[in-house]
Amino acid sequence: MSAAEKTAAAPSGQRSRKLLACTAEANAYQKAFGIELRRRVVEEGEPFAIVQADTPHEIFHVMDIPIITNQWWSAYISAKQLSNRYFDVMVEKGYPKNSCKYCSLGLACTLANDPSTAPWGGLPTPTVLVARMTCDCIQHVFGQWAQAMGTEFFAMEAPAWEHKDPQWFAKSRGDWENVYDADRIAMMVAEMRDLITLLENRTGRKFDEAKLHHLMERINEQEGYIWEAAQAIGNARPCPVSIAEQMPNTMIPQWHRGSDWAVAHAKKFRDQVMERIASGAGAAANEKIRLMWIGAGVWHDPGFYQALEEKLGAVFVWSMYMPFAGPAYLRDVQGRPMDALASRVCSMNEVLHLPPWMNGWMVSEAERCGIDACVVLLPPDNRLSQSGTKITAAALEAAGVPVLMIDADMVDAKNWDHAKMVGMVDSFLHQRGVA
Amino acid sequence: MTMFAYLGPDMPHDLFAASGRCGGAVGWIIDRATPDADRWLESKFPLWTRSVLQDWADGALDHLEAVVFTRADDSAQRLYYYVCELRANGTIQGPEPLMLDIAKAGRASSLARTVASLRALQGRLGVDDAALEAGIAATNAVRAAQAAAMDEAAPLCLIAGTPAPDDRLRAMVRAAGWAAAGQSLTELWADLGQPVEQGSSDPVLAVARNLVASAQGPRAFVDRGAGLVAQAQALKARAVVLWLPEEEEALGWHLPVQIAALTLAGLPHLVLTRRDGAGRDGVDAEIAAFLQGVAA
Repeated sequence: MSAAEKTAAAPSGQRSRKLLACTAEANAYQKAFGIELRRRVVEEGEPFAIVQADTPHEIFHVMDIPIITNQWWSAYISAKQLSNRYFDVMVEKGYPKNSCKYCSLGLACTLANDPSTAPWGGLPTPTVLVARMTCDCIQHVFGQWAQAMGTEFFAMEAPAWEHKDPQWFAKSRGDWENVYDADRIAMMVAEMRDLITLLENRTGRKFDEAKLHHLMERINEQEGYIWEAAQAIGNARPCPVSIAEQMPNTMIPQWHRGSDWAVAHAKKFRDQVMERIASGAGAAANEKIRLMWIGAGVWHDPGFYQALEEKLGAVFVWSMYMPFAGPAYLRDVQGRPMDALASRVCSMNEVLHLPPWMNGWMVSEAERCGIDACVVLLPPDNRLSQSGTKITAAALEAAGVPVLMIDADMVDAKNWDHAKMVGMVDSFLHQRGVA
Repeated sequence: MTMFAYLGPDMPHDLFAASGRCGGAVGWIIDRATPDADRWLESKFPLWTRSVLQDWADGALDHLEAVVFTRADDSAQRLYYYVCELRANGTIQGPEPLMLDIAKAGRASSLARTVASLRALQGRLGVDDAALEAGIAATNAVRAAQAAAMDEAAPLCLIAGTPAPDDRLRAMVRAAGWAAAGQSLTELWADLGQPVEQGSSDPVLAVARNLVASAQGPRAFVDRGAGLVAQAQALKARAVVLWLPEEEEALGWHLPVQIAALTLAGLPHLVLTRRDGAGRDGVDAEIAAFLQGVAA
C-alpha cells in the first residue's frame, strides 16, 4: 500500500482505555497465539481449518487441529488497516459494492493475491473451510474461498427452528434438548460426525469423545466464571468495566475455550471484576446513564464505547458477548458431549438475530442490567446482522428503554466517523431525556 | 386444511397437487405503501416481503388457513419467524405460518432432514403416500407438457440475476422491440423443476431428492456461470441483462464468474447491480439503450 493509500484509508476510530490488568494479558496472549498459529500453519505447514465463529470449534480443539476463525482473521486484517484496500479489490473483480462485508474480508484478502501486503503473506491451503449456512451469502463466500484456495468447503445446515421459547435463555443449560429441538441436535451431531471423518481422513489425527467430554466440562467452568462476572456487572452500580474490556476478556478466552489458559484467564477476569465491584470502582468516574449495545463490536473504533463516559457519565455496560457466555455456552453434558455441543452450536446465530429469541433475551437483559438506553447497530449490507433489530427495538421501547439505531458496518471503516457517531448518541440521549 | 399458499423456492409441487388445496404463491404488489411492514422489516428485506407482510397485517390473507415457507431462501425463512412472532404477540392475525425445512448441503443428513420435514407437511395436508404417488404422476405430466411448450418460445433477451418481482423488466425489454425471457420470482417458485421418480417405494423420498438437488433457489450449489450461458444458449438469446436489486445478497457473489462466462461465450450483456427493486431508477432507458446497441 502506498503512503497515499494509507492516508486515504486511515480510520477515524480511537483506542479504548483499559482499566483491568487482565485485559492487557488477554491481548498479549492473543498476540502470542497469532505468532504461534502462524508458526504452526505457515512455517511448519500443519493442517489447519478456516471456520466461522458459530461452528463447533471444540471438534478441532480435541483433535489439536489449528483453526483460523474467519471473524478473528477479519479483525486481524482490519487491524492492519487493509480492509478498505481489499474491499476495493472485490469491486475491481466485479463483485457488487454492497456485497456483505462481515464474512468476506478473508476471501477478499485471498482474491487480492498480494503476498507482499497480506497478513502472514497470505494463508496457505487449509484442510477445509467450515461454515453454517445461516444466511444466503455465506455458502457462496466460503464456496468461492475454498475454490480459490484449492480446498473443500464443508457446509453445515442451519435447520429451521419451530420450537419457539422466548425464555430459552433461562432453560438452555439443563433443558437444551427441548429448547433447541432434539431433531435439530441430532442433525448437527450427524454433521459433526461427518466432519470428524473428513478431518481424520485428511489429517491422520484422531477424535476422542472422552476428550470432548473433558473439554466440555472445562468450558463450563470457564464460561461459568464469565457468566458469574456478567451477573455481578448487571447488579453493580457503578458498572466496574465497560464493554470495551468485557469483550476481549470474554472473546479471547472463548477462541481458546476449555484450554488451561482460557479457564484460568476467565477466573482471573471474574476476580478482577469482583475486586472492582467490592471497592466501588466504576468504568466512569460519575456513572449516570447505563447503555446497551446491540450488534457486533465496532472493531475499528473501540474508543467509541467510552467516548461519552466523561461528558455524560454514559457507560456502555452491556454488549452480547459477555452475558451470552451463560445461555449460549453453559451446557450440562448429561453424558452426551456430542449432543450437548450440538445444542451449543445449532442456534448460536439464530438466538441473536431472530424473534422471539433475540427480543426475548435482550429485553430480559436490559431489565436485569438496569439499562437506561440502547444503541443498535444496523449494518446496511447485511440482512442477517440487521435481522430482528426492529422487533427488538420495539420490544425495548415498549419496556421503557429508548433505542437509537445507527446505520454502520462493524468491519467497514469507510462509513464510520467517530465524531459523528458519538455526536449521534449524545443527541439521542438528550432528545430522549436520558441525559 | 382448506386453502393454503406458499412463499419461497424449492416447493413440493407434487405434494401440493396431491392435496388439491394449494392456491399457489402468495401474491404481492411491490409498488404499494407498506407502513406496518416497514416498522418490522429491516432495509435488506426485498420489497415482496414488505407487501406480503402488509397484506398479512391488513387481513388480506385471511382466506388462507396456512402459508408454507421454505428455508431455501433467506428472505422467506426470516419472514416466517417475523410472522410467527407478530402472530404470537397479537400484532397480526391471519393464516398459520408453516415451515418446510429444505436442507441443501448434499449430505445424507440433509436429505434426511428434508424427508422428515416433508413427511410432517404431508401429514398436515392429509395426503397419504398413494395420493402423493398420484400427485407425482399428474405433476410429471404437466412438466412434460410445459417442456414442449417452452420449446416453441423464441426469446431473444434473457433477463437473469435476481428474479424480477413481476413482469416489469420483461415489459421493458419488449418495449425496446425485443422478445423477453427470464422467470419472475413467482414463476420461478411455481416452476415444477425436474420430473420426480414415479413408482418408487417411498414417494416422499423421491420428492425430497428432487428438492435437495434443485438448482432453483439462491442456496443451490451449482455453477452459475456455466448455468447461465447454457440457459442463454438453449433459449437462443442474443443478449443478457443481469439485474440485481439493492437487497440481493446471494447472487452477486457469482457476478464475476457469470460475466466471464458470458464474455467467453460472446454473449452481449448488461450488468445492473444495486438497483431499485421496483425498477423505478431509469433501468428501462438503460435496457433500451443496451439492446439498441446490440441490435446495431
